[in-house]
Amino acid sequence: MSENTEADNLGEARIEAAYGSGDGDEDISATVASAPQGQILEQVYRPWDGPLGPRWVRNYAIYRHHVYGIISGSGHRRYHPFVRLTLLVVILGSMTPILMLLLSSMISGDASGFLNRMWGVNRYNLWGNVLGYFPRNLCMWPLLTALVVGGLVSDDRRNGTSALYFSRPVSRLDYAFMKWLSAASVLAAVILLTYMLYYSAAVVFKGEGWSFIADTIPIFMGGLVAGLLLVITYTSIGIALSSISTSRFTASVSFLGLVLGSKIVAWLVELQFETTYVYLLSPYDCLAHLGQWLVGLPLNYDHSLTLSIVSLLAMNAAALSIFASRVSSLEVTRE
Amino acid sequence: MFKCILGLIKISEGGGEVLGNDIVTMGPDIRSEIGYMAEYDSLDPGLSAVDQVRYAGELLGMRPDQATQRAHEVLQYVGLQDQRYRKIESFSTGMKQATKLACAIVHDPQILFCDEPTNGLDTSARKFMLDTLRRTISDGGGTVIMTSHVMEDIQGVCDRVVMLSGGKVVIEGRIDELARQITREIEISVWGGASNLEQWLLVNGHKVRRMGRIMRVEHNGDQTITAILQAATETGAQVRVLKEYEPDLEDIFLLIMRKLGRSAKGSSDLKGRSDS
Repeated sequence: MSENTEADNLGEARIEAAYGSGDGDEDISATVASAPQGQILEQVYRPWDGPLGPRWVRNYAIYRHHVYGIISGSGHRRYHPFVRLTLLVVILGSMTPILMLLLSSMISGDASGFLNRMWGVNRYNLWGNVLGYFPRNLCMWPLLTALVVGGLVSDDRRNGTSALYFSRPVSRLDYAFMKWLSAASVLAAVILLTYMLYYSAAVVFKGEGWSFIADTIPIFMGGLVAGLLLVITYTSIGIALSSISTSRFTASVSFLGLVLGSKIVAWLVELQFETTYVYLLSPYDCLAHLGQWLVGLPLNYDHSLTLSIVSLLAMNAAALSIFASRVSSLEVTRE
Repeated sequence: MFKCILGLIKISEGGGEVLGNDIVTMGPDIRSEIGYMAEYDSLDPGLSAVDQVRYAGELLGMRPDQATQRAHEVLQYVGLQDQRYRKIESFSTGMKQATKLACAIVHDPQILFCDEPTNGLDTSARKFMLDTLRRTISDGGGTVIMTSHVMEDIQGVCDRVVMLSGGKVVIEGRIDELARQITREIEISVWGGASNLEQWLLVNGHKVRRMGRIMRVEHNGDQTITAILQAATETGAQVRVLKEYEPDLEDIFLLIMRKLGRSAKGSSDLKGRSDS
């Protein structure tokens, strides 16, 4: 009794009642959660027996890889954001005449007539939309080509990714053609699509009828062919330069140097010696010369158009033969 | 050799078939059915691993959705499941090798050609690569053909070996059978008086190969062991380890080199030789 009283005084009885510290759980041990020991990586080989597509499926994969990369940020060939931004600027820049046509159709009076004369559909403007030197062939198309084509083959040479193509059922012809086609498609999408948009906008905004279309369509087609030749020539030269280099920068700068440099040299020679023959070395001038004939403009070169056509063919042939020989030397193994 | 097998170059003479396809005329068919893992970097550094493997599958003719699914599967298999969305430019050598292997097996090929698969790998990455190749054979049911200057790697993965020298086959067969053809030896580890012991054995007509404290004595029956122990007793040398030596591919290589009249201390001497 006396012990109980003493315990009550110390509060032990109340502690026992409140927390049950002495009610038989002294021997119980906590059960800690445990996981069975195992490997982090479960390596399981999964067989695959799906069908493999034919040649066009493989070729389309190459095409898609290079073209989609410009639009899509991931999953395809990586284009630097600067390249994509420049492409956007070039596209917007090449569509400025459409804006002026829209403006011309929205206002009336002398201003509308002025805008129409300056940016409306005529031989000079159709030629200029593709082959005008400033700003298109000085600032836009060569830069566009250099940025798009520069790394197409040089990257494969530098990274050794040619082995990825040629150790698969991709022939060198398919590889070369699809690379070329990818670059040409991007160039055509910018150069020719904006050209077609310009002509369509002129018809729509000005409410032109069938007679206008019948009158101007031959000129338009002439410009379209000239644009196509420009796309082919620039792509061929650009991809040839890309194939002889392991650096996209070198390839791009070489292309700019070739296209712009040959033009400047020919211009200086013309100023000094009053001859236009050196323009035969300039891809742009050969195209411009032929374009003038296709669109029906007076030719402003002294030399024969035939020489420009021959020069253009020779440039393309030389570029494609260089490209073909360099693609044939791309390695698969380093034996 | 791989260029010939892949049907990438025209051979001047002879011929052959891979999986029933003629190597001269059916190169694309061969390349559809085999997987090839290049020796050097053949990856686009700007792509993520999964995009790279997917593209490798698409180049074989796989549909994009199939190639994507398969890319995830094979990257998991080669141990890159957590890194598959990382850009390849940030990968280590081992991860790049694994990505190349994933590209090669994306279509579950019947034959996998690996050109120096352990090149530049550290010990753990090398072990993982060899284990993965072994598993590819055992679980995938396919065949792995690998080239390597490291005989240990080949022995670890392959059953059969072909050695080429000067463009000609110098030996071909199962590794274990080739190893059995090599003279059996007793390997001993000797401390203190190794030179005396070696001298004693040589004087008494035994053939000895010495590598520091390790000696290999040609095994001519039980009397060889008795002779070694007697030599140790008489010269006072300590024989700490005595065992029958199992010859490996490296020994086969050295034997062939000797027969060809080449000086080589090991298979590593082959590196850099263009004619071997």
